[in-house]
Amino acid sequence: MAVAARNDAAVRIVLPRDISLDGHLVDRALGYLTVTTGIAFAVALGVMLAALILHRARAGRTWAQHTHGNRPRDRALTFAVALILFVGIDVTLAVRAKGDLEAHFWRYPDHDPTALRVEVMARQWAWSFRTAGPDGRFGTPDDVVTLNELDVPVGRPVYLKLRARDVVHSLYLPNFRFKIDAIPGSITRAWFQAVAPGRTEVGCAQHCGVGHNRMRGELVARDEGDYRAWLARAETESRLRFDAAAGSAADAWDWETGL
Amino acid sequence: MTAATTLADEPIPPAPTGFLRRHVFSTDHKVIGRQFLFLGLTFLAVGGIMAMLIRWQLARPGAPVPLVGKLFFASAGGVISPPAYTALFTMHGTIMIFFAVTPIVIGGFGNFLLPLLIGARDMAFPRLNMASFWTLAVATGLLCASFFVPLGPPQAGWTAYATLSTALGTPGAGQTLWVIAIYLNGASSVMGAVNYITTVLRLRAPGMSWLRLPLTVWGLFLTSILNALFVPVLGAAMVLLLFDRLFGTQFFVAGTTPGAGGDPILYQHLFWLFGHPEVYILILPAWGIIGDLLSFFARKPAFGYRVTVGALIGVVVLSSVVYGHHMFTTGLSPLLGESFMVLTMIISVPTSLLVLNWLGTLWRGAIRFNTPMLFCLGMVFTFGVGGLTGLYLADVVADIYLHDTYFVVGHFHLIMAAALLLSLFAATYFWYPKMFGRMLNERLGKLHFWLTFVPLNLVFIGQLIIGAQGMQRRLYDPSVYEAWRPLAGLNRGISHAAYLLGAAQLLFVWNFFMSLWRGRPAPPNPWEVGTLEWSVPSPPPHHNFDTIPVVVRGPHEMANPAAKPLGRDWLSQTELVEEPPR
Repeated sequence: MAVAARNDAAVRIVLPRDISLDGHLVDRALGYLTVTTGIAFAVALGVMLAALILHRARAGRTWAQHTHGNRPRDRALTFAVALILFVGIDVTLAVRAKGDLEAHFWRYPDHDPTALRVEVMARQWAWSFRTAGPDGRFGTPDDVVTLNELDVPVGRPVYLKLRARDVVHSLYLPNFRFKIDAIPGSITRAWFQAVAPGRTEVGCAQHCGVGHNRMRGELVARDEGDYRAWLARAETESRLRFDAAAGSAADAWDWETGL
Repeated sequence: MTAATTLADEPIPPAPTGFLRRHVFSTDHKVIGRQFLFLGLTFLAVGGIMAMLIRWQLARPGAPVPLVGKLFFASAGGVISPPAYTALFTMHGTIMIFFAVTPIVIGGFGNFLLPLLIGARDMAFPRLNMASFWTLAVATGLLCASFFVPLGPPQAGWTAYATLSTALGTPGAGQTLWVIAIYLNGASSVMGAVNYITTVLRLRAPGMSWLRLPLTVWGLFLTSILNALFVPVLGAAMVLLLFDRLFGTQFFVAGTTPGAGGDPILYQHLFWLFGHPEVYILILPAWGIIGDLLSFFARKPAFGYRVTVGALIGVVVLSSVVYGHHMFTTGLSPLLGESFMVLTMIISVPTSLLVLNWLGTLWRGAIRFNTPMLFCLGMVFTFGVGGLTGLYLADVVADIYLHDTYFVVGHFHLIMAAALLLSLFAATYFWYPKMFGRMLNERLGKLHFWLTFVPLNLVFIGQLIIGAQGMQRRLYDPSVYEAWRPLAGLNRGISHAAYLLGAAQLLFVWNFFMSLWRGRPAPPNPWEVGTLEWSVPSPPPHHNFDTIPVVVRGPHEMANPAAKPLGRDWLSQTELVEEPPR
C-alpha cells in the first residue's frame, strides 16, 4: 500500500510493460496512428488558425471572397487531400492490420504440440483456468484448475478457449495487448506468448454486473523449469480437490481443433 | 411543382386560442420544438449531474459525496455503492443519448427549424408531431419511475448487453421499465422521422430545390432517413429482450453449453446495427448546422456545397455497414472483422471531405467571432480529435487492445458529447433570438464558450490518455488493479476539469433564463443572413409565413457582388436582384 500511496499523485503516461511476443505489433499500430493523425490534425489546425487570423473581419476586410468552391480545381484539391489521407493512413493501416492478423493474432497454434492449451470459464465474478494435465484430455482428474490465476510458461504459445456461465465477460491482458470476450452459448479463442517471466494482471473488460470491478486475476509467466515445478505442485493439489460430482468438472469440455 | 403550389395556396389555419391547445397539446411545430428542447435541456442537466457523481467516485473512490451524498445515497452514508455506481453510468448514458441529445437536436431544433427553413407553415403531420412528443414524455416518465422500484434502477449499461440485461443478470422492474422506455423513445423518434421526411419531400416552398436547401435541412432529412430505417431494429431488440425478461423466452439467453438456448451475440448485432447509425443520427444535424453557421460567420458561401451534400449522403449509406467494429473482440469471423475494418475506414473519406470544406469555407472569409461562431470553431476542433481517434478503433489490431477502455469513452464523448454539445450551443446562441425574440447576452456567451471548451477537452483528451494506458471503462474502483493506481492523479485531474465544465453550464442556464425577459430585443435579422427563417418576425407567427415565399437562390449567398448596391454583403433566398452571370 505504501507504493500505491506514493504513486497516487503521479501521472503516468506510458503504456503498460509489454511482455508478449506480438504486443509490439499493437504498439506499432498505435505509434503509426499517433504520428500520422497527429500530423494531419496539426496541419488542419494550422490552416484553420491561419484563416482565423488572416481572414478575420476587420477594418479593411469586410468582404469575403465570393466562391462556392465548386470549380474543378477546388474539387481536385479537396479530393486530393482526402485521398492522400485515406491512402496514407487508412489503407496503410488496413493492409498492415490484415497482415498482422493473419500472420500473428489469428494464426492459432492448432498444430503446435508445444502450445499450452487452456480452457477458460468466466462467471460472475471470477475466472477459472484449466489445463489438461499429463493425459492431454480435459475433464479428467489430472486437470489443473486455478482460480483467478493463469500460470504460463515463457517461450511457448498459450492457446485459450473461453466460455461463460452467466453473462458476457472479456478476458483482458493489458501487458499482452489483447482481450477476448467470453460469451454464454459459444466458444471464443485467442492465443499469446510470454517472452519474459513476471507477474501481471488479468482483468474483465466487459461490464458484467456490480462485481465487474472485482473480476481481477493474475497472470504468472514462468521460465520453463519453474513452470514445470509449479505444474507438478498444482497437479497434486488439483487431483486432491477433484470431485467428479461437483459442478466444476462440468466446466471442462473436449478440446477440438479450430473452434 | 404543382403539388407545392397548391399547398402554398391553402388557407392559413387559424391559431388556437385555449391555453392547453396553445402551450401543452399544441400541434404547432414551434411549440413542440420548444417542448422537446426544454425536456432535453432538463435531462441534459440530470445526465450531467450523474456524470459529476461518476467523476467524484473515480477521483475519490469510496469517499462520501459532498452536499448531495446524504440525499441521494442515504442508505450507504453518502457513499456511492457499487450498485449505485452501476446504475449511475447506465442512466447517464441512457439519459444523455436518448433523453437529452436526441430530443434537443432532432425534436427541438429539428422541429423548430425544419418548416421555417424550407418555407412551410408547419410539419406535414402536425398531430403525429404532437404524438411524437407525448410518446417521449411517457417514455421519460417510465424511465424516471425505474428509480423508485424494488431492486432499483437499471444496471446493465446503456448498451444493455444480453445476458446481463435479461432477468438472469439484472432482475427487477427497473430494467424492464428501461426496455419499455427505450422502445417508446424509439417509437417517438420514428414518428418524428416519418414526419420530417414527408415534410422535406412535400412542403418545400416553390423554388426550394434540393441544392438550395440549407445544410441544416440536409442533416435533419438524412438523419430522419436513418431513424426510420434503424430505430425499428432497436425496437425489435427491445421487444425480444422484453419477452426474455417477462415471458421466459430465450432469444438472447444462453448457458454454458454452446449451441443450446438463444444467442447473446444476436443482441449485439441488433443493438449495433442501430447503435452505429445512431452516432450519425445525432451528428448529421450537427454537421449541417456547422456547415451553415461557418458560412454565415465567415461571410462566405459554404465551400463545395455539392460535395458536402454528397459526403453527407455517403456517410448515411456507409453508416449501416460499419457497426461490426463494436464487436471485434466477440470472435467475429476473420472475414467479417476485416470487412468491417475496411468499411469503417472508408467513412473517413466523406468525413475528411466535410472537414476540408469547412476549412475551405473559412479561408478568405471575413470571419466574425460572435458566440455561435466560437462554438462552431470549437466543434471543428473536438470533432477533429474525436474523428481521428476513431481510426484507432477501426483498426482491429489496435482495437483489440483499446476496446472497452477509457480510450473508447474519450473518443465517443469527443464526438457525441463535445462536438455535439458545442454544435447545440452554437445553434442555441444562433436561433435563440428566432425562438424567443430576444438576444442571449454575448459577453456571457463568450465566457461560457471558453469555460466549456477548455475543460471539455481536458476531460475527454484526458480520458484518451488514460485509456491508451489500458484502464477499462465502468470500473467502480480502478485502484483494485495495481496497474491503474498510478493513474489516480490523472483521474482526479480529469474530475476537477469535469466539475469546472459542469459549473460553467450555470452561466448558460443563467443567460438562457435571464435573457427570456431581460435580453436585448432581437433585431429582425441579427446575424445578417439570407435563409427563410429570418424573413419572418421573431418569434414567428403561428402560421410562420403570411405568403409562402418563392425561393430564387441557395442559402449561403454571402459576399455576393450583386448585394453591394444594397449596402450589405448578403442576399436573402427570396429577393429578386440582378445577378451577373457566373
